[in-house]
Amino acid sequence: MNVLPDDLIAQARDGGHIGMRAGARLMTLLENDPEKQAEFLRKTGFPSGPRLVLGITGAPGCGKSTLVDALLAAFRSLHPDARIGVIAIDPSSPFTGGAILADRVRMMRHAEDPAIFVRSMASRGHLGGLALGVGGVLSVMAWMGFDIVLIETVGVGQSEVDIVRTADEVAVVLAPGNGDSLQLLKAGLMEIGGLIVVNKADKDGAEALRDGVLAMLELADTTRHREVLLVSATENRGVTELASRFESLGSANSHRRSAETRREKARQLLLQLATRRLEHSLENHPRIREELVRRIEDPSGSWTGLVQDLLAAAATADSIQPSPRKPSHV
Amino acid sequence: MSSDTPASPRRPDGGRFRILIAKPGLDGHDRGAKYVANVLRDAGFEVIYTGIRRTPEQIVRAALQEDVDAIGISLLSGAHMTLVARLTGLLAEHGADHLPLFVGGVIPESDIPELKALGVCEVYGPGTSARTLVESLTVHLEKHVHERPA
Repeated sequence: MNVLPDDLIAQARDGGHIGMRAGARLMTLLENDPEKQAEFLRKTGFPSGPRLVLGITGAPGCGKSTLVDALLAAFRSLHPDARIGVIAIDPSSPFTGGAILADRVRMMRHAEDPAIFVRSMASRGHLGGLALGVGGVLSVMAWMGFDIVLIETVGVGQSEVDIVRTADEVAVVLAPGNGDSLQLLKAGLMEIGGLIVVNKADKDGAEALRDGVLAMLELADTTRHREVLLVSATENRGVTELASRFESLGSANSHRRSAETRREKARQLLLQLATRRLEHSLENHPRIREELVRRIEDPSGSWTGLVQDLLAAAATADSIQPSPRKPSHV
Repeated sequence: MSSDTPASPRRPDGGRFRILIAKPGLDGHDRGAKYVANVLRDAGFEVIYTGIRRTPEQIVRAALQEDVDAIGISLLSGAHMTLVARLTGLLAEHGADHLPLFVGGVIPESDIPELKALGVCEVYGPGTSARTLVESLTVHLEKHVHERPA
């Protein structure tokens, strides 16, 4: 198997465009083979940081990218010397595996700022709101010396569980016109973030939505601290306040980076990588494909038995060996 | 359209090819750029779309940060010579002049040799089919990944 080039790892520490390129190349290598993350961490001595990792999630069209753009400007003026990274994830097509990554469109005014680095990623079939390679990209950003990293999730809204494990604090973004308060009651979304941002405050219905959220929180678990902020990213209203609340809540959560959390994250990642490998062998091994066709044509016998047979076959299949040239899917 | 385009090629490390699509200059007609972005997505590429009215500096920094395998720009304004020269100059300055750079839009036939001399790998004019675009780009991408420094 290829190893990560040491010269790229060394160059990525350079603060100029050499470092920008080397870091970007490392991100690609780790994105395309997430199993290399362990090698990267070992070679770089497990870089600590970034100081602050903040997640932004919410339904498609609620204004996440525009909010990230406004937050970049706010953090740049709060911390003029800080380098800030952005990881923006958009969905891959489940049919072709292709993707259009367009979060950058909203952030282009920062494109020439040497202190800002934006990386777009496709979800590549991974569910949970992030992509499997996000951990790797984040560790490269840590190694490059970024102080703050903002992570914008895929805009699906109700399955964004990965971000809770990855970020120090998460903002759930809502916008008027995206469904009534029943949507807020549905499990998942409201349990994610310590911050609930009602965006598009310049539009009708934003204040009513904020009131609805507050009413909903009164019914909810009172042990958890949550704040609701009314923001207009396009008119830059409430953004500085959001940035500073985000920062203090995130800093207060540094205990989330305990050894226990790191172990839990490592456990999750290993599980995901093993699942990916298992799927690959089930989908690609000729013996298993033949067996599948045979069993479907002769559907006698239990499916539980079939599943057990397939798992046993996958465990002994040749393709369970490393095969970086043929990743499992999308 | 997707049924008409061939299956997407992969990078040698198994990853998807990443293509930056941008519109430099002042004209805001982005239908062509969006069409190409859609064709490439349907062919299985990951397309980083940057939107309209971008400066060459913004495009080059975005391409480097995203570590793309190719850059496509759409030009309808007539300023293609100036903008492409600026882009290729910046790419060379950043050691990225090996990246395939392709151009779409309204380009006079007579300007194409000069654009290619500047380093443009291909010019796709109006009427280019989705299949032609994907097949031609794939050839350039595969050539590029085998020549690119490790």
